[in-house]
Amino acid sequence: MLIETRDLRHTYMPGTPFQVEALKGISVKIEQGEFVGIIGETGSGKSTFVQHLNGLLRPSSGKILLDGRNPWAGEIKLKKIRSSIALLFQYPEHQLFEETVFKDVAFGPRSLGLEGDELEERVRFGLELTGLDYKFYKDRSPFNLSGGEKRRVAMAGILAMKPEAVILDEPTAGMDPSGRRRLMDQIERFHKEENLTVILVTHNMEEVSRLAKKLYVFSGGQLVLQGTPAEIFKNTALIRKIGLDLPPITDLLHKLKKTGRNIRTDLFTLEEASREILHHYRGG
Amino acid sequence: MRSVTLGHYLPGNSFLHKLDPRIKLSSLLLLIIALFLIKTFWGFILFALFILAVFISSQLPWRYFLRGLKPILYIIVFTLFLHFLFTKGGKVYLRLGAITVEEAGVYLGAFMTLRLALLVITTILITLTTSPMSFADGIEFLLRPFRRLGIPGHEIAMMMTIALRFVPTLMEESDKIRKAQMARGADFETGNVFRRARNLVPLLVPLFVSAFRRADELAIAMEARCYRGGENRTKLRKLQTAPRDYYAIATACGLVLGIVFSGL
Repeated sequence: MLIETRDLRHTYMPGTPFQVEALKGISVKIEQGEFVGIIGETGSGKSTFVQHLNGLLRPSSGKILLDGRNPWAGEIKLKKIRSSIALLFQYPEHQLFEETVFKDVAFGPRSLGLEGDELEERVRFGLELTGLDYKFYKDRSPFNLSGGEKRRVAMAGILAMKPEAVILDEPTAGMDPSGRRRLMDQIERFHKEENLTVILVTHNMEEVSRLAKKLYVFSGGQLVLQGTPAEIFKNTALIRKIGLDLPPITDLLHKLKKTGRNIRTDLFTLEEASREILHHYRGG
Repeated sequence: MRSVTLGHYLPGNSFLHKLDPRIKLSSLLLLIIALFLIKTFWGFILFALFILAVFISSQLPWRYFLRGLKPILYIIVFTLFLHFLFTKGGKVYLRLGAITVEEAGVYLGAFMTLRLALLVITTILITLTTSPMSFADGIEFLLRPFRRLGIPGHEIAMMMTIALRFVPTLMEESDKIRKAQMARGADFETGNVFRRARNLVPLLVPLFVSAFRRADELAIAMEARCYRGGENRTKLRKLQTAPRDYYAIATACGLVLGIVFSGL
């Protein structure tokens, strides 16, 4: 599904003294199967923006088009876009409510009208994608699981709907490094295997620059930068000015360069960077 | 959040904002008594003019104020409707088959509607200009004489503060959970009453879970700061009366006495 916004604007509580203009004209185009990252300070409008993408918020002005159809003009059903563009909120473990993990994961697919074997197959699919053993977890209460497990159950509930795109709002906030790594690996695998569009909202520069092919940078309700991670993190001064930072490894390369070494700074993974440093020190 | 809470505090710097909360609450009580003593339409007009003057001096945006009144509009219309239909007596104004609208109904309906509307307007005027904290302080002070009867003023005020503090938090939370479940295909908008009630389960369960979690965390945080109720507690902000407070309470007393003795 092609996700497109044109001059999207959103104002919270218009006409009251609490009025806030959260989005000031955002235009983006996200193709099927892309992995994009959305970064920006707290309060920059990221979360407001992604809630427009699956029809949870109605734009105050401007347009959102899904495969060229406008849901707010009745050209495509809201229910349809909510099931094909899944959104996982921050701390999704707070949305669990059923007695068993099975029932909770089945909530989404069941609302799509699935039943019986097909439903079971979907639940198994979701749980196994997030690395949870179906037999072991299905009859447990979601409230007795650990924080990390709860979050994976919530994620399974989204993936079991087999969406075309997922929007993840800070999926790894508050998780330990190994859990974070595992979750992101699973998302990446799913992205590759199913040609899933992934829209990742995060504060973790390292994660997003490693995974996303394209980044959108938000600041004060505006889209200030867009491009590949390499293009974005070239603008070190601007990135710092709007309250963000470079990925730690890229930061290190920048610091080495400052000492007068002719080293590449457009690398974001540990492997690439260590190869570059070794190459530089051995070769140069 | 789709709508602002009824009577949500708006910070400001007017006469009404600066009044001592104890004075404000006592004056409100007096004004409510006055409202119930009024016997004629002239009394209401006088009262309404007074409230209008207070409103103008409060510098509240009128549009925002009127929006706050919207929820009670239904109650007012309903009251009017009931009186029109069921209070009988006097001349018959309208006859539709077995249904009649008579003089006493119109009179009493208008009377009750005015009383109700002014009651709500007066109260909202106070809540819009009083921060929840000073409101609780005021309540605590006014409940002090009842301590002998075993009414724990401080505890009640503390509960009120906490409850008010968590209204926006819980609203935000329910909005978030509602959206999260809608993203999973939950439907909160269609179907009959029973279906809708059942569809609320995915919203209510997480909301209660999180409310209990918050309550638990708050209790621990308070105990960690050695909170133990009202005994011998001092205050950061001491309430102090200024001349304007005496003018205000005198005006309120004057209004009540005026209404009683003039027979309005």
